[in-house]
Amino acid sequence: MTTATLERPASEQRVDDQCPVVGHCVLRVEGLEKSFRHGLPLHRRRKSVLTGASLMVCSGELVGLVGENGSGKSTLMQIVVGLLARDGGEVEQLGRLGYCPQTPMLWEKLTVDEHFALFARAYGLDDEAREKAVADLVMELQFERYRAYRVEELSGGTRQKLNLALALMHEPQLLLLDEPYSGFDWETYLRFWEMSERRRDGGMGILIVSHFLTERERLDRVYELRDGEAVET
Amino acid sequence: MSAITVSGSFAREQLRAPLTVVLLVAVPAFFVLIFAGVLGEFAKALGGTLEARSATAISAGWAAAFLSGTLGFFQLGSSRGADRRLAAAGLGAARVALARIAAALLLAMTVAAVAFLTLWIRSGIGHPLHAAVGIAAFAAIYIGVGAVVGAFITGALEGSLLVVLVFSLDAFTGPQMTDNGGGIGAFMPTRRAADLLIAAGGGHGSPSADWLGVAAVAFSALALALIAFWLVARTREA
Repeated sequence: MTTATLERPASEQRVDDQCPVVGHCVLRVEGLEKSFRHGLPLHRRRKSVLTGASLMVCSGELVGLVGENGSGKSTLMQIVVGLLARDGGEVEQLGRLGYCPQTPMLWEKLTVDEHFALFARAYGLDDEAREKAVADLVMELQFERYRAYRVEELSGGTRQKLNLALALMHEPQLLLLDEPYSGFDWETYLRFWEMSERRRDGGMGILIVSHFLTERERLDRVYELRDGEAVET
Repeated sequence: MSAITVSGSFAREQLRAPLTVVLLVAVPAFFVLIFAGVLGEFAKALGGTLEARSATAISAGWAAAFLSGTLGFFQLGSSRGADRRLAAAGLGAARVALARIAAALLLAMTVAAVAFLTLWIRSGIGHPLHAAVGIAAFAAIYIGVGAVVGAFITGALEGSLLVVLVFSLDAFTGPQMTDNGGGIGAFMPTRRAADLLIAAGGGHGSPSADWLGVAAVAFSALALALIAFWLVARTREA
């Protein structure tokens, strides 16, 4: 069981011949296994969620991940990010990673700008780079006027915009989006897809948990999680 | 943005709850003015020898412990997901944990200062330095209690009840609370700090060996808190 999280200059990145489109493989998941234990100590039950899931995402690709409720989509993403330990399999990730969780993971009493400041620190952005990234993102997602607001004062949709913006502010090479548009109004939803497609065209590899059949035409490839395995459809 | 600023953000997050700020003043006042009397009566009923001045002094310690424990617990409980996301984004679990412990210490020492001032105003203290160290030790020890509970109990209700249970056991089995002076109280974390504070409240100093004992327990509790903060923020990379 190995994981490699590699940060390499673009010039040194390898071209993975297995990539179905021309580009670099930015995420390779192989035989991923994960189960959860439930119940009291003497009556523990084990539920297998992932039983050997494999997938890959290349730069310049918008890949969908679909499946029924409880099929393991969020679990797979959390393992890639490092929020959950896996029981088996390999995860190889190349380059900067951005992650937008399904439920916004934010501090209720900190402001939007304070969130940007904390994540800029985590991403290693200096003040100038941070301010440029933040200015661009709040304009793109249209929530400039909320920068001084605390999260507890924001609507669900605006929280979700912040949740997404935090994943994008360091221009990741691999972006994991776990149902990132819940709470968005229709216009924001459409703008979200424009943003994603623009970034995909700029070379970003994007893996997105998606539910709607109508979104399939926006995606380059789709994996469906069935019985713990990822099947390309 | 320095690591100190990350701690500042975490501390601000706690202090922006208006009720928390009110409790920082109200709880020490309640403990020193009211809880001390209850503690003294309770000790008498159990055959203990806790004097009124010592009960007042130790109540300032309990005030600091109660607030630090609950703040330590909620620092973990309320921000678990966001802290882990920040660590996974590149800040790392160790730096998140250090920022959290610094914020917890800042709040705990503020609480200890308020408790000390309340005690000073209420009854005066024979050995103010000893009392200040004792109260600060109570606060530091309960950061550890709150953080360890928070690392393993995710539910807000269950966790806060467990912190209160440890606190109650600790407070009511403390030194001079019963006629036998032993029992479970001998193994509670604040035992040595309580001895220091009771002596200071009674107008007596404590030898340096006692100070070293209190410091060892307080630093051990802070080390446990640091581990607890790290456990919650860590990512699973390997």
